[in-house]
Amino acid sequence: MIYDVTVIGAGAIGTSVAYHLCKKGFSVALIDRGDIASGSSSHCDAVALISDKAPGLDTKMGDASIRHYRELAESFSYDFEYDRKGCLYVCETEEELAAASSYAKRQAADGYDMKIVDAKTMREMEPYLADDLLGGIWTPGDIAVCPYKVCFAFVEEGKKLGLKVYPYTHISRIRLSANRMVEAVETDAGDILTKRVINCAGVWAPDVGKLVGLDIPIQPRKGMNLISEQTKRIVWHKVMEFGYMMSKFESINFRRNVSSLVEEYNVAFNIEYTKADNILLGGYRGFRGFDVRSELEAMQAIAERGIRFYPCLKGINCIRSYAGVRPYVKDHLPVVSAVDEVPGFYIAAGHEGDGICLSPITGKLMAQLVAGETTDFDIRRLRFSRFTEAQRTA
Amino acid sequence: MSSKGIPDDMLVCRCEEITADEIRQAIREGARDVTGVKRRVRAGMGLCQGRICEKFVQQILCQELHMGLVQTGRSTARPPVRPVPFGELARGCGNDL
Ligand SMILES: Cc1cc2nc3c(=O)[nH]c(=O)nc-3n(C[C@H](O)[C@H](O)[C@H](O)COP(=O)(O)OP(=O)(O)OC[C@H]3O[C@@H](n4cnc5c(N)ncnc54)[C@H](O)[C@@H]3O)c2cc1C
Repeated sequence: MIYDVTVIGAGAIGTSVAYHLCKKGFSVALIDRGDIASGSSSHCDAVALISDKAPGLDTKMGDASIRHYRELAESFSYDFEYDRKGCLYVCETEEELAAASSYAKRQAADGYDMKIVDAKTMREMEPYLADDLLGGIWTPGDIAVCPYKVCFAFVEEGKKLGLKVYPYTHISRIRLSANRMVEAVETDAGDILTKRVINCAGVWAPDVGKLVGLDIPIQPRKGMNLISEQTKRIVWHKVMEFGYMMSKFESINFRRNVSSLVEEYNVAFNIEYTKADNILLGGYRGFRGFDVRSELEAMQAIAERGIRFYPCLKGINCIRSYAGVRPYVKDHLPVVSAVDEVPGFYIAAGHEGDGICLSPITGKLMAQLVAGETTDFDIRRLRFSRFTEAQRTA
Repeated sequence: MSSKGIPDDMLVCRCEEITADEIRQAIREGARDVTGVKRRVRAGMGLCQGRICEKFVQQILCQELHMGLVQTGRSTARPPVRPVPFGELARGCGNDL
């Protein structure tokens, strides 16, 4: 048999793309060299937010994805722990509060449900929060999901629609025809004949790209978290410091009054509870290649920053740390695109710190692209050709 | 001990209260190693971080999938080695973790 589409990579992006293609009636193979969700999508946090997005397309995709998550939670029989917990950004200084206010105003003007809350309201919402904070941004529609269960859910629901899954399958070559059209994916489980290939390999997308001679500019950007023991409730929403924006977007020029360790590791406080009553405390962003070992000083800095905002953490036990890598693209936009040079080859990768959030909408948009339909909204900025165009004009 | 000796209703992971039957179910759903089991049914995610149950999970994997112990893998070693309050961690008392 010849598949309509072969998806490479069974993370949050690939499983969603595969599921949405099945929904459109395509025959689909999903390949991963490991287990489902063995990459970044099981080494991350669990939130889907609009409140950490840049205004414009970034927020628009986040919002569409969060809405889509809700529909999926209602229609799937596999429970991926959809939880509308809302997100609270907290500000330490007047300067941060002013920046937060203008950000929230801009988003509200675009029609998103986001507003400034004062210190008193904030403490009612989060009684264990440090009492010297000035206020924050409240986004009630932001959600959490269990990221690896999202992958399992897409796979299980996809299987009902005929999805074929090839886990622990290694690709040796992507075979192209004489006119450079995708023809087959050669693996240790045999040749998988296919009309199209979609590269959803996250931080490893450049390796898969090389198989057809492409240079895909995605880099691993490390993150790390601490996990607490199961504990009584001390946090009711996703809570982050406004400085988080700064750690994500290098362009934001903002100095915080923090220790040198926190500065060095680019640590920005964020916290959330899990369904099992553990607390996840983060986080940091750094470039360390593919090294995902836990760094002790980073752990120290994350704990220090966490206690600044939730002093009661001092007495709660940390049971584990973990680290993962985000598929980072310099312009902070993913690639969701066909590749002109190789007919039948597509890319859906490079979602950096938003791959869980953007998983449903990416799957939906990619299925529309493959079907030759008009996409829900204009995604020309996500085209792969933007990199070659940039090179040409440079 | 062979995994045949582990009855379905035995609590394998006491922290998360996961039975041998649930672990066998995770294997039927596609888990092939300790980490795959953990992600599907939380065995090893509790307070002791699999220190007690990992061996049992490995044995069940060996039995169900007819594989050797090495192939069942281990959960990734991550600090801290034992639970430590965030307060101590922040003060840098983590150097011997
Ligand atoms: C600490 C941390 C916290 C985060 N928190 C959040 C959050 O709260 N919300 C959010 O939205 N995002 C978050 N992210 C980002 C999120 O984890 C990623 O954006 C997302 O997981 C990327 O998904 P993916 O499917 O593109 O990649 P992956 O999940 O990495 O999937 C790629 C798959 O491709 C497979 N693969 C690779 N090479 C090959 C090959 N040659 N052949 C076959 N298969 C191959 C891999 O095995 C892997 O399973 C966080 C990331 C980190 C590190």
